[in-house]
Amino acid sequence: MEVPATPADTWGIPSTTFLLIFFFTATTLVTLAVVHRLILFAGRRDVPPAQLGPQQAAYLNGGDRLAVYSSLAALRSAGVIGVAKDRTLAVGGQLPLGATPLDTAVYNAAQKRIKSRQLLADSFVARALDQLRESLEQQGLAPSAGTRRAARIVPAVMLALVLVGVVRIFAGLANDRPVGFLILLTVLYAPVAIVFLSVVPRRTRAARAALSQLRVQHVHLSPRTAPAYATYGAAGAAMGVALFGAASLWALDPAFAADAEIQRNYASAGGGSGSSCSGGSSSDGGGGGSCGGGGGCGGCGGCGG
Amino acid sequence: MTAGSVQPGGGPAPLPPPAPAASHPPGSVQHGDLAARQAELVAALVAGAPVPAGFDERLVGIARGALLRKRAGDVARHWPLLAAGLGTDWTATFARFAATRPTRGSLRDGWDLARDLHAAARLTGPARDELAAREATWHYRGTDAPRPRRLPALRRGDGTVVIQFAGRVHTLTLPGATDRSS
Amino acid sequence: MTGAYGVGIGWRPEISGFVAGLPGLRFVEVVAESLPHSGPAPAALADLRARDVAVVPHGVRLSLGGAEPVDPARVAHLAHAAALVDAPLVSEHIAFVRAGDVEAGHLLPLPRSREAVAAVVGNVRRTQAELPVPIALEPIAAIFDWPDDELTEAQFITEILDQTGALLLLDIANVYANARNRDTDPVDLLDRLPLDRVAYVHVAGGADHGGVYHDTHTDPIPAEVLDLIGELCARHRPPALLLERDGNYPAGDVLRAELDAVATASGYPTVT
Repeated sequence: MEVPATPADTWGIPSTTFLLIFFFTATTLVTLAVVHRLILFAGRRDVPPAQLGPQQAAYLNGGDRLAVYSSLAALRSAGVIGVAKDRTLAVGGQLPLGATPLDTAVYNAAQKRIKSRQLLADSFVARALDQLRESLEQQGLAPSAGTRRAARIVPAVMLALVLVGVVRIFAGLANDRPVGFLILLTVLYAPVAIVFLSVVPRRTRAARAALSQLRVQHVHLSPRTAPAYATYGAAGAAMGVALFGAASLWALDPAFAADAEIQRNYASAGGGSGSSCSGGSSSDGGGGGSCGGGGGCGGCGGCGG
Repeated sequence: MTAGSVQPGGGPAPLPPPAPAASHPPGSVQHGDLAARQAELVAALVAGAPVPAGFDERLVGIARGALLRKRAGDVARHWPLLAAGLGTDWTATFARFAATRPTRGSLRDGWDLARDLHAAARLTGPARDELAAREATWHYRGTDAPRPRRLPALRRGDGTVVIQFAGRVHTLTLPGATDRSS
Repeated sequence: MTGAYGVGIGWRPEISGFVAGLPGLRFVEVVAESLPHSGPAPAALADLRARDVAVVPHGVRLSLGGAEPVDPARVAHLAHAAALVDAPLVSEHIAFVRAGDVEAGHLLPLPRSREAVAAVVGNVRRTQAELPVPIALEPIAAIFDWPDDELTEAQFITEILDQTGALLLLDIANVYANARNRDTDPVDLLDRLPLDRVAYVHVAGGADHGGVYHDTHTDPIPAEVLDLIGELCARHRPPALLLERDGNYPAGDVLRAELDAVATASGYPTVT
């Protein structure tokens, strides 16, 4: 099906042929990238999910920032961290027993009169986060640096292909050849390549399964059920943030979260504004009280008259 | 059958004299109008009506206050950011609002208050986002129970835009908004 | 309840994880109106049922003391709730929560009159007709009394129980609150109540506010209430005692300590 090359064809390859080769190579590379990622990021589950600590779960769910938020939740729940008037963090009291290395690093960093978003830049916090990441890598829950680099190889080739396409476009323009389809293909393909190159998961599929299991196990910590954080303690608060996002920290202590400038929607499961009320579903006719799953009104023997 | 006497085993404390407008002799039991008398009592407790004859006004007043405090606590559970935004003023603010408004359920009580505050431009920050998220998710006219919205909706919060789509809510911070919670 | 269930706790979504972690728990109570109208029971309650923990639906909005006949839809829901969680019995209050189409949003006391007895008895009988299990009735704490009480509290309660054959849900905290606010002797009331008809007992905390004791369910149990439990058990130990807490939940250890205190006061094994 070879069209005899004419002296005017760019690089001596006819446009149709080049387009076909380009398209075929592009799709092959995408398939290769997807399959490669599936293999690379499968992960292992060496440790049962029940043994994952809150900050580990937080890192898998929302990266460094959520791990730090989880620490803040634990420290706040223990009553040792607060916010000063100028919105910098402040500590008061001893670090509680059972504090993780990240908790300790956050506690120490908070004494330096910084804001919450500067915690990630603190060197000790960063080091603690590195340790956290390494422990997860060893367990097969987070991809190692090598794995993440490997995941970029095929996308790099994809980007190279895009560049070839761009060069061909300019060459074709100079040659006064039609380049319409090629521009279209390149423009469509470039974002794909960029996304594959830049977005590399920080967790494996095993980790995602572990998180799902943890969410079932700790469903009582979901902000939708308005958990009694005081009852569940610092560990409960930390795990709540780890599994259900920054919304948990806002539920735990809205005043602290607002003053400390915690991003309310970070890693929080989409919907649910506060409690999950099914508005008018109950038979309460004219109203008066708890919504569907609220269970709120309790004994109502309180305050008698 | 006489009111005001101390009965065996302990009974009610001596009562103040009944109001002059009473159509029955003081202290006699009024048969057959339990419904009306219950309605009077409820109105006195939650709708700002006067305390019916024969009741201890001080105690009914205390009960009224206790009811409002309990309601404030229940509403705060449904509207945590609204309550937190008012801080220590929450209970008093809610009590003032609700003193003559019988409850229609904590969700609607809080919603009505939030809308009131919003209309008076007193709703800011996370509380405003909370209201925006609810408004985007439910259809509430104020007259009957809220219904879930079936279509996507958009609402403005405080420097944010709340988008509801298929029951899930996403909040976007607008550029230029003060760095408050983002 | 047949057999002794010991100490239980009011199930609330806020502390569902805590309740699930109580090893010796044999029964819980759940607000009947919080159970769904259709579909399965909440997973947490299903888990408790799988562990053979009894779940008792506790109605709060039927308004059995209202002059109007009780709403059949609410009765149907209470019956549905009982079936949903396989309950051994249900409970509600000797009180009213609405009148003249206005919701009080709270349990209000009744006049201790024969007219009120008739109203309660009528509504309880209407309810019993639809229930697959027995019903226990809870007298409430009252901050104020009606001006024309004909009967004593003991007479009022006993009369209702006699005419309906219902069981008694004795709220020992309410007994304390009423006695304290009326300046009477709580033990005297215990002596006059049909203690053999007690299905189970509520225990809760409260606080003084404005010179009046409020049964808030959001405060620690006063020592006097624990003492009253002792007095009650010395006369006739109930099959079960339930800790009611509706909010302001304290640390897990504090809650466990309260449960243990109730167990100790009643002579039942601890459930923590």
